[in-house]
Amino acid sequence: MVNINFTVNGKPYEISIDENMRLIDVLRDELGLIGTKEGCGEGECGACTIIMDGETVNSCLVMGFQADGSNIVTIEGLEKDGQLHPVQRAYMEAGAVQCGFCIPGMVLSTKALLDKNPSPSDEEIREGISGNLCRCTGYNKMLIATKKAIEYMKGE
Amino acid sequence: MKLNIVGKNIIRVDAQAKVTGKALYPQDIYLDNMVYGKTVRSTKPHAYIKIDISEAEKVDGVLKVFTYKDIPNKNAHGVVLKDHEAFASKKVIRIGEPIAFIVAETQKICEEAYKKIKIDYEEIPAVFDPVEAMKEDAPKVHGDSNIIYHFKLRHGDIEEGKRKSKYIVENIYKSPMVEHAFLQPEAGLGYLEEDGTVVVVIATQYPHYDREEVAINLGLPEEKVKIINTNVGGAFGGREDISAQIHLALAAMVLKRPVKVIFSREESFLAHSKRHPMIMKYKTGADENGYLQYMEAEIIGDSGAHCSWAMNVLRKAGVHATGPYVIPHVKVDAYAVYTNNPYTGAMRGFGATQVPIAHEQQMDALAEKLGMNPIEFRMKNIFRRGSMTATGQILTDSVPLDRCLEAVDERFKFSQLWKEVK
Repeated sequence: MVNINFTVNGKPYEISIDENMRLIDVLRDELGLIGTKEGCGEGECGACTIIMDGETVNSCLVMGFQADGSNIVTIEGLEKDGQLHPVQRAYMEAGAVQCGFCIPGMVLSTKALLDKNPSPSDEEIREGISGNLCRCTGYNKMLIATKKAIEYMKGE
Repeated sequence: MKLNIVGKNIIRVDAQAKVTGKALYPQDIYLDNMVYGKTVRSTKPHAYIKIDISEAEKVDGVLKVFTYKDIPNKNAHGVVLKDHEAFASKKVIRIGEPIAFIVAETQKICEEAYKKIKIDYEEIPAVFDPVEAMKEDAPKVHGDSNIIYHFKLRHGDIEEGKRKSKYIVENIYKSPMVEHAFLQPEAGLGYLEEDGTVVVVIATQYPHYDREEVAINLGLPEEKVKIINTNVGGAFGGREDISAQIHLALAAMVLKRPVKVIFSREESFLAHSKRHPMIMKYKTGADENGYLQYMEAEIIGDSGAHCSWAMNVLRKAGVHATGPYVIPHVKVDAYAVYTNNPYTGAMRGFGATQVPIAHEQQMDALAEKLGMNPIEFRMKNIFRRGSMTATGQILTDSVPLDRCLEAVDERFKFSQLWKEVK
């Protein structure tokens, strides 16, 4: 067992975990944050994307102990005072949500992109979500949603 | 007429739950006192098997290893033919076929027990090519013949069609097996309600069929089986057949504890159906004015080791074999054939997706022989209102294919470019 201290969605945690636990298992099984999804378990699909110290990572490829000292944002941490994040709102309105299994990761990748680059080009948007696979939409709705989110964030 | 929904952008009911991560898929559900399951699958395509679970059952924390011997009633399921065994009993017929289901306190213990399952495979000749499988001396997957289904379509008089055709093209087209790769790998839970009702929580396309299959395999009346459908993380046809439903229900019924199973991506690939690969032999003829006169097609669909929806898929391929063209003389033979390949079933389009690869290339090949713009050639032959299909249906309603082709032509500037290169 190993002790880790980290912050998840603004809340500090001090927990004891198995050394061989992946970060996705820590989040889902230990903290009950089931919004983080496992689609492939090998870093290919991006469904388990989270934001770790400002960077998107595949939480299936990060060991739990590596999260020690980090600041993590999962899909559960995007709402503020009961209000949806503009990216979440835009995804809903653009019809970018179908089966939904890629959505937590996709939304977080979009958020991380816009945090770094508030007015990306179409190509930059596509590149920003290129690590997230979706089998339903064909990705154009994500592009539309991201443009919508950019407008909402400008208005904030 | 005032419309409330049509023409308006409506936000889907589950969108908010999905963008906030609150939407539940089976893997997201944790129950008190829950144990885990793991499926043991065949690693050989065709073999007689002997299973020894004794060492695996001795592993500390293993509750039970289920095999065909534990199925209380019928060890058989399938959407059309009951040709899947819930657990292979004597013979495995494909890689990935379930043989046993380990239930243990943790997933880790399941993995440990998995290594101690001994399966003795006595391999027998297998068949992987559907054309070979149709031959009389081919290894048989089930019963006496590998031919599951033959769809026959006869329309007009083929010999007359041939006589009237100045130009004939003959080609063979092959389409591959395709994996749905829905993003949420199969997962599910089984548990018992206080009155003994067996509950299976799963993402499925057919809760009503699942209920019937579970009831038949377990020997329960249907009212003692409940299937709860969660959010479904994509399906595209790949969740139409049974995956873990029977195993979960059986384990919950016998062990009286909630049981959860989650497939890895690799296991998901092994577990569910694929798109039917098809071999399509086409002969198509047109007269000197560019009017289609006849089409003869033989379509062979590889069903793999199980039937699943083979009849429906090959029937659809046969019905759609002409494409959207008026052809007075048509002969189609579509076959579904068992092999020891991964089994095939429903996938978006259901047989109608494969045949355009053939009929559209035939159109291009004929247009080339005629020296005609392929759009103009299609325009002469497409279905319009009042056309009759090869199956005898008169199309009385909306048939706007001409407008579609015109729009495509305009956007692509196809005919304009055609003139320039000619």
